[in-house]
Amino acid sequence: MRYLLSLLLLSFFISSCAKSTLEDPHQIVIWHQMRPDERTVLKEVLDKYMAANPGIKVTALYKETEELRSGFQIAAIGGAGPDIVYGPSDQVGPFQVMEIILPLDTLFSKEYLSRFNPKALVYSHGRLYQIADKIGNHLMLIYNKALLPNPPKTMDQLIAIGEKFTHAPSNYGLVWNYTEPYFFIPFLTGYGGWVMDSLGNPTLDTPAMVAALKFMMELRDKYKIIPKSCDYETADALFKEGKAPMIINGPWSFGDYKKAGINFGVTRIPFIKETGLWPAPMVSPVGFSINASVPQWKIPEIVKLIKYLLSPEVQLEYTRHFDTIPTLESLYSDPVVRNNPIVKESENQMEVGRPMPIIPELRAVWDAMRPSYQAVLGGTESPEQAARQMQKSAVEKIKEMNE
Amino acid sequence: MSHKAKTQNLKLRILNLVLYFLLIGFTLAVLYPIVNVFSISLRPGNRLLSTSLRIIPDGATFHAYKELFTQTQFLLWFWNSSIIAATVTVTGVALASTAGYAFSRFNFYGKKSAMVGLLVTQMFPPTMLLLPMYIMLLKLHLINSYLGIIVIYTSTALPFCVWQMKGYYDTIPFSLEESARIDGSTRWGAFTKIVLPLAAPALVITALFSFMTAWAEYVVAAQVLQDTSLFTLPLGLKQFEASMSTQWGLYAAGSLIISIPAVALFLFLSRWLISGLTLGSVKG
Amino acid sequence: MAFNRNKMTQPQERKTRFFDSESLSPNTFAYILMIPAAIVMFGVVVYPFFYNVVLSFSNMSLRHFRDWHLIGFRQYIEVFRGQVFYTVFLKTLVWTFVNIFFHVTIGVSLALVLNRKLFGKAALRTLLILPWAIPQVIVALTWRSMFNYEYGAINLFIARYLQMAPVEWLGKPLEAFSACIITNIWLGFPFMMTIALGGLQSIPQELYEAADIDGASAWQKFWSVTYPLLKPVMIPAITLGIIWTFNNVNIIWLVSNGGEPSDQTHILVSYVYKAAFNLYRYGYAAALSMVIFAILLIFSLVFLKRTKASEAAY
Repeated sequence: MRYLLSLLLLSFFISSCAKSTLEDPHQIVIWHQMRPDERTVLKEVLDKYMAANPGIKVTALYKETEELRSGFQIAAIGGAGPDIVYGPSDQVGPFQVMEIILPLDTLFSKEYLSRFNPKALVYSHGRLYQIADKIGNHLMLIYNKALLPNPPKTMDQLIAIGEKFTHAPSNYGLVWNYTEPYFFIPFLTGYGGWVMDSLGNPTLDTPAMVAALKFMMELRDKYKIIPKSCDYETADALFKEGKAPMIINGPWSFGDYKKAGINFGVTRIPFIKETGLWPAPMVSPVGFSINASVPQWKIPEIVKLIKYLLSPEVQLEYTRHFDTIPTLESLYSDPVVRNNPIVKESENQMEVGRPMPIIPELRAVWDAMRPSYQAVLGGTESPEQAARQMQKSAVEKIKEMNE
Repeated sequence: MSHKAKTQNLKLRILNLVLYFLLIGFTLAVLYPIVNVFSISLRPGNRLLSTSLRIIPDGATFHAYKELFTQTQFLLWFWNSSIIAATVTVTGVALASTAGYAFSRFNFYGKKSAMVGLLVTQMFPPTMLLLPMYIMLLKLHLINSYLGIIVIYTSTALPFCVWQMKGYYDTIPFSLEESARIDGSTRWGAFTKIVLPLAAPALVITALFSFMTAWAEYVVAAQVLQDTSLFTLPLGLKQFEASMSTQWGLYAAGSLIISIPAVALFLFLSRWLISGLTLGSVKG
Repeated sequence: MAFNRNKMTQPQERKTRFFDSESLSPNTFAYILMIPAAIVMFGVVVYPFFYNVVLSFSNMSLRHFRDWHLIGFRQYIEVFRGQVFYTVFLKTLVWTFVNIFFHVTIGVSLALVLNRKLFGKAALRTLLILPWAIPQVIVALTWRSMFNYEYGAINLFIARYLQMAPVEWLGKPLEAFSACIITNIWLGFPFMMTIALGGLQSIPQELYEAADIDGASAWQKFWSVTYPLLKPVMIPAITLGIIWTFNNVNIIWLVSNGGEPSDQTHILVSYVYKAAFNLYRYGYAAALSMVIFAILLIFSLVFLKRTKASEAAY
């Protein structure tokens, strides 16, 4: 009994004072989704900021996508959570609808905002909710220069090269995480399709969807240039082991491939002659939003920090390390950006990309696409059936979501 | 020795041998995934998957282990987790051993509903409890505090521990305490001096279970602890993860090291789990 | 905690220091023993539970996140209306019972074997505890890679030693569900093994000796001695094991990558998770949680009554 009592006392002792950090004038908390290598740059940048601004402690916490979303919702219901959320633009939609992030147009001047690439400013219902420090974040064709000096320009070339390289099951011409519908979007757009119309209604039951699904299946079952099943980790392993010369992946993978010692180049996902279209990956900015629960008096401090994190020096630091595309227009003529071949090719791919919708309905569309898409891959549904089923399920899910 | 006894002895030996080989085969199969984790931790170039089945990969390196201790706050996380897990273990054992005894030995009003009540707490899908639990801790100013998380872990571990203790006490005959009481022992004395030592295996299970509940828990910790200096091991480990760019080497190395204290605790406690001190020796 | 055999068998005269357990009625003594545990449980569980009850009658969702209000039984009707609930419920049952069956049989068999005199059993025992000790995420993902169609160890083993065609583990619904179950069996048996090992210690050796004298076979000994005396220790573990497995969202999520293929590997809780945090349907998710809760409550009451777990063995 006695030791129990002392134990309780001890636990009181070790528990720190615990108020919501939102009320703490000396601490600013950021939840972000940066990769481990990006976090080291973030840390350096923040250390510099704290050294210049004594009395302010900035805490950066990594939260995985799924967890940032659920964790922030939970915290917001309780009126707590981080001061700043950093992540891709698609989370802005739901957060705005739930009113858990602040509109930013009144906090940043027009003049300040005009310095940004318009793609970096994320509006929803006419108000600004996110300012990005990177744009793009899109899929492209990454190739191993040691195996393939000249990447394909058209799908026909890609298939021809693919057939040359494929020796199943050890070597394949092309790999990517084709189980995930996000990675299917370039094919859908390459056949002229898209996920929803301008009003947010799903547009999945289209000839474009059917054609794109058929093409995917042909790559696997007719030309046999992609593995029989391939998720992200399988694709990644095959590319890193030099057993596949081409992979469809995004800028998040650059650092890792460099570390693995691969001399890679990037280029557009090849042109589809049949339709006369370039496959268009989804393009999205990645940036900062402010928690709606922050007290009024704290906002100037938060704005100051965000402005610092969006400053030219910080943006260039990221470009230098990770070949990302910055958002301040003045930086596009900077040698760091101009002389970087990967950034140039990445921009080249972005030009044909389409912005990812930010409305919450997109999630319902993903959830509707995934089962039928995978059923086609598994051979249990025909492309036509799948397209119909996706559309039906997306409409239902959107209705459920908006009830 | 009679002929019959001899053949029986031989049969027993063969049976033992067969069992032994089966057991070893099974153990090897069980260990394979863990060996795989080890292999990931040695793999250069950060790959979760490999197309080769080799256990020691090409270019194997202990770099991940070195990085874990020098470049990350692994030791801090380790310390934090140890404090939390130790507190939960001690509280869990103390509360469960007493409550379980009450349930086993006394017939009081509300006993059955209290026992079912304990189980009931486990039935609600935990994901949905996260939200109200968070709001409650927020109101009590227990966010970012170990006290909050310790109370939650203890309450997660208790229902099983109490039932477990009760089930074990049930196998200890009343007559032992009765004779102790006749010899002049108090109720409390009979419990602590006679029953508790006999229940050592159950105490071990309770301790182990409480420890594991606190040691590897992630979801609640992620919501409650928002300061990197308070991070526990699972939270720290999660920092190596990122959507499509996880540091698998570090992650695997960290996971293996996390499991060491749990195994060590088991090794240490198994003395009392498998003690020769069976009830038989005192039941008489 | 060191136990001394001599001391233990000799009753002590000394009164306890903290309270005089003699002057209390037996029931009060029992209440005092229980209260600390009761306070902790009550505090942590009651508020969250009622919060969910309220939510389950509300329309809280994406469009009504801050301004939600009560709407009666609508969410419950919604739960039972869909076809999905029934198929997923069935899968949850299969998931739970297959898992628990193997957890218990493997766990108890190992405990019985390890309780014999065997060379190196301490080492084997410790190695066998590893699946319980290692963090789940990494092993779940390792299992996922072992199930890989072309490069996974399991398919290579099947092809090489069993001369069978490789199985598309993660691409087909039934196979993917089996893969989840296999992983979870692997994760769960050490727990049951530990409980059973502890339980075996409570069985007096004399009972086996007496059975030997009666000429009982090993099988008879198991059913007449081991089984009844192991039962009181195993029942709580099995009951809770069933509840936990029913509500275990992790393994399905990790091994099948969130319900792949085609959302065919979901069990009820992973559905709840998806509804709440992916589709923001808090009211619906709370109602579904209440239904899960009711299912488990009814099951436990029946199960406990059948097994008489709340009564003593002697």
